[in-house]
Amino acid sequence: MTSSNPMRHQRAAWAFMGPGVLLVLLAMYIPVVYTIYLSLTDYTGLGTPNFIGLQNYVTMFRDPAFLTSLMNTAIWVVGTLVVPVGMGLLVAYLTFGLKGGSWLRIPFLIPYALSGVAIGVVFNFIFQNGGALSQALTFLGVPGAQTHWLEVAPLNTVVMILASSWQGIGVNALLFVVGLQSIPKEPLEAARIDGASGWRLFTTMVWPMLRPSTTIVVGLSIVNSLKTFDIVETMTQGGPNRVSETLGVTMYTDTFQSDQYGLGSAVAILLTIITVAASVIYLRRQLTIGDASGKGEVAEA
Amino acid sequence: MISRIVRYVVLGLLGIFWLLPIYLLLANASKSNGSFSGTQLWSAGNFADFWSNVIAVFTTTDIGSGLGASTIYAIVAPVIAVVLGAFVGFAVIVLKLKHGFVWFFVVFCGTVFPIQMMVIPWFSFSANTGLYDTIVGMIIIYSIVALPFSAFVMRNFFSGISESVFEASVVDGANVWQIFRRIYLPMSVSALVVVFILQATWVWNDFLLSLILTQSTARPVMPLLNALQGTEGGGPGYTVTLTAALLVSLPTAALFLFTQRFFQKGLALGQY
Repeated sequence: MTSSNPMRHQRAAWAFMGPGVLLVLLAMYIPVVYTIYLSLTDYTGLGTPNFIGLQNYVTMFRDPAFLTSLMNTAIWVVGTLVVPVGMGLLVAYLTFGLKGGSWLRIPFLIPYALSGVAIGVVFNFIFQNGGALSQALTFLGVPGAQTHWLEVAPLNTVVMILASSWQGIGVNALLFVVGLQSIPKEPLEAARIDGASGWRLFTTMVWPMLRPSTTIVVGLSIVNSLKTFDIVETMTQGGPNRVSETLGVTMYTDTFQSDQYGLGSAVAILLTIITVAASVIYLRRQLTIGDASGKGEVAEA
Repeated sequence: MISRIVRYVVLGLLGIFWLLPIYLLLANASKSNGSFSGTQLWSAGNFADFWSNVIAVFTTTDIGSGLGASTIYAIVAPVIAVVLGAFVGFAVIVLKLKHGFVWFFVVFCGTVFPIQMMVIPWFSFSANTGLYDTIVGMIIIYSIVALPFSAFVMRNFFSGISESVFEASVVDGANVWQIFRRIYLPMSVSALVVVFILQATWVWNDFLLSLILTQSTARPVMPLLNALQGTEGGGPGYTVTLTAALLVSLPTAALFLFTQRFFQKGLALGQY
């Protein structure tokens, strides 16, 4: 019988699976464990690491730069939820079902093609003292031209969140549009006939049915904002005097600028714990996609 | 009807506002450092100055060599990751590896850790093995970072292909490798392309890894672009820096424009 009992292919299966598993174990899991170990040492990048227990964690939580960074990261998460998610939804809702709607979304998608570093360069140019924004404010006669946008905390963090939002809205709008397209038309029509419209139609019908998209957008926004690095490192390097650092920048600065590898590892671990906790929100959904709802999602592409 | 007009007006105004930074980028990349007095940032530039800025980017900065390195990374690493990811998906779904989901989960969890959690050992390891600041070292690390996500997409894709395809191929006498190479790989071109595009964009735009793991020879464009900013005075000046920012954004912008449909599919998958 040529019954193709798949169990006959276990050895072949391992030949295919082996390289991937091996690489991930060697290059990702072992480094993770090693970073945990380093966080318990006084390693400076040279010599041998000495075990010092939880000292780095004590130092970390007493370090004003770290506490500021933690606070800034929280501001980033909240800011990213309010501005890019909220505006992404607005743009999606306004363009959805509108003739030429996909064209009207293009201005919001263009920034997505830029890297974090390029955005940092452009917005440095806009927000620097005497930069494009100051000149525009002077020209329009609006007060604020003398503001040092990037030098005062927490204003510099807010400004950088806006720069990052400028990029993020288009993608979120796109994800919300996909969600809006998947909402069945009949209940909406029924609600419309019953007299619901505008804001009421949105809050009672559309918003609840958008939940799957919202979960993804919110989950992604939280995780990505927790890991913020590029824009801050490009625009302020976390300064002045470390007031605009995020956890990602603090980890980099502690480790690679101050050679405090142990402390940097401790920051990395805290960042990882927070990120993983946040990831669980949408990770569960992501993993079930392959089993049920999203089977054909890639297949259609 | 009125609400329609309001929607057009709101979207139009917002859209114009959104394009202002792009306008500033283009306008000031098209000015010479001489005419760039610092007080005329909103006026338009001209093409001749833009062209001389482009030449300045290639003759006075390292961006040219960075573009070479970035191109290599953004093509080679995603290809390796896509193939290895397809291996994983094939083993788990088609060959029904025992405890396949557990092993898949082990691979997938690689995307969960922030890079900060692994980068110190990578830095030490590459410094000790001579892989630091080498093209090969960067290709290896980018391939591995991109692997879990490719495995995730390819597993999803293969789970949508009927099992009878595999059974029929076995009956026809094909061996497992032939089935993968001749049947499953050609069937999954669209998924492979989605993964490739997303990962190529990610590699091209990477800043954190290349900042830590390279110094000069193997340095791609993003850390080089960032470094142009700090060199005011002795550096190339803002108009050339903006031109460089524009130039390094063109490849991803082109990729994005030509493959928007793929991007949308990929976005729905959640990583970006």
